[in-house]
Amino acid sequence: MSAELALLVLRLLAGLSLAGFLLLLFFIIWRSLKASERQLRLARAAEARLARERPARDGTKEYSEGIALQQLTTIGRSANNFIVVSDDFASDEHARIIFEQGQWWLEDRASQNGTRLNRENIQGKAILKDGDEIGIGQDRFIVQLPLDLARHEQ
Amino acid sequence: MNAPPEPQSRWSRHDGGASLLLVLAAVFVFAGMAAVNLSRPTRPSDWLGFLVWFACMLVGSLVLNRFLPRRDPLLFPLAMFLSGWGLVAIERLAPAFADRQALWLAISLIAMLIAAAFPEALRWLRAYRYLLLALALVLLLATIALGRNPSGFPLAPRLWLGIGAIFFQPSELMKIILVAFLASYLGEGIASRRGDGSGSSAFQAMSPRLLGPMLTMWLLCMVILVWQRDLGTAMLFFVVFALLLYLASGDMRILVGGAVLVLVAGIAAYRLFDVVQLRVDIWLNPWPEAADRAYQIVQSLMAFGAGGIFGAGPGLGSPTYIPVAHSDFVFAAVAEEWGLLGVVAILSCFGVLAWRGLTIALTHGGRPFYKLLAVGLTMMLVLQAIMIMAGVIKLLPLTGVTLPFISYGGSSLLICYTMTGILLRLSSGAR
Repeated sequence: MSAELALLVLRLLAGLSLAGFLLLLFFIIWRSLKASERQLRLARAAEARLARERPARDGTKEYSEGIALQQLTTIGRSANNFIVVSDDFASDEHARIIFEQGQWWLEDRASQNGTRLNRENIQGKAILKDGDEIGIGQDRFIVQLPLDLARHEQ
Repeated sequence: MNAPPEPQSRWSRHDGGASLLLVLAAVFVFAGMAAVNLSRPTRPSDWLGFLVWFACMLVGSLVLNRFLPRRDPLLFPLAMFLSGWGLVAIERLAPAFADRQALWLAISLIAMLIAAAFPEALRWLRAYRYLLLALALVLLLATIALGRNPSGFPLAPRLWLGIGAIFFQPSELMKIILVAFLASYLGEGIASRRGDGSGSSAFQAMSPRLLGPMLTMWLLCMVILVWQRDLGTAMLFFVVFALLLYLASGDMRILVGGAVLVLVAGIAAYRLFDVVQLRVDIWLNPWPEAADRAYQIVQSLMAFGAGGIFGAGPGLGSPTYIPVAHSDFVFAAVAEEWGLLGVVAILSCFGVLAWRGLTIALTHGGRPFYKLLAVGLTMMLVLQAIMIMAGVIKLLPLTGVTLPFISYGGSSLLICYTMTGILLRLSSGAR
């Protein structure tokens, strides 16, 4: 009888430590993934740039040195925007790019002629990825997110 | 994905719960051992296995903390947990072999520490690759000529070399040497062809000058292995070889071609070898021959059914109905006594092992030898585990390989631990 009881206790102990081992294993994994996700987010926030496309004389495209994106980057014709565009088709406060939830978002600010992402007008907000083309009036900008996985997969 | 500095320094301070993992593993192995010993009234309880395991765990973590404080924190606890479980299973299934396995565990731990603590070991693997490969081939040839089987059955495959009472399986040693050889060979191919930093698309011109000698080497290995009827290992080598070639070249055709070759080889082997024919036949339908030729696999399926969700309890099932359950079929025995919970635990451990191994490979983006070495060793371990686990549940035809860390078998345990040691070395930023 006591041997049976001891066996039951040992079985429970073994089962609990087995479950504990697995739970702790997954907890450690979860925590390390969270840590690397935070690192990645910080790096994504730090290293994003926006390059302006300039049509060259011979028809090919040229790009300006990228401008580092801020947490809140405003684009428009008025002088108090972070990126000022001098374009008749752009509104004073045309669009903005914000960093939220680990992503870069493009948001149209009810502009007259709309904001294009990869040549299509956006409604509200849209997530940006590496190589995306933003169109404001006649200006074009290229998004540079060097840490995007999509780029590494090529 | 470069190693982020901040979490690593935190791990080095209090290793992120990995020592708690070891404590839980120790409680688990202790309780399992005690339950097995208690449920076996006729035999005096035997604690040698647990004591050796415990000593290995203490020495291992002390030495690793001293020499590799920035290692991957999960690999060593996983290896200890799985091999501790293996010791419990062997103590349960074949007590006569338990002491021998405990001795092998101690030897394996020393091998792991040597591979992990001495940075020269990696350099030697690379510098003397032809010598090592030749040595491994000579050993394999010697096995063909002088090979024996410790069990003494006349028809059993003779894969062991014996000196006195110690037996070793050279094809196990071949696993490390072959992966190291392929990694350094293919790695140099990448390095010499990389012009602009886009490493994956280099190597595109599959020149015969580069691939010729390698395929020759490969064919030689295959011939020897097929000659020995060790088809599980031959299959494993070929799949790992194809994966490494694919990683080095980034060419999808290698995977397709490799799959076709495996299929052709499988059909040929089905026609040529009785063993393969038997394995495939009982995989398709074991029931007509459940009492004779398919007895083992049918008993294994019964064991899975008998286990249910929580299992019969350590020492309380009847997994000894499965012939030689302590070796290839240890997974079925575990399933009977530990149930679905145990099966899921073992699968999770191998899954985490695969993930950690591939993560280590990712941190070596610019160093193709280390990257390919990490991938190759991880794949060797995990694919072997998948092959035998899928084999005993009749998901794949049975291939007679051991379940890494758990099955009885000294050479297998030694090589698994050495691979873990190399992975630990690679994980702590090898130069």
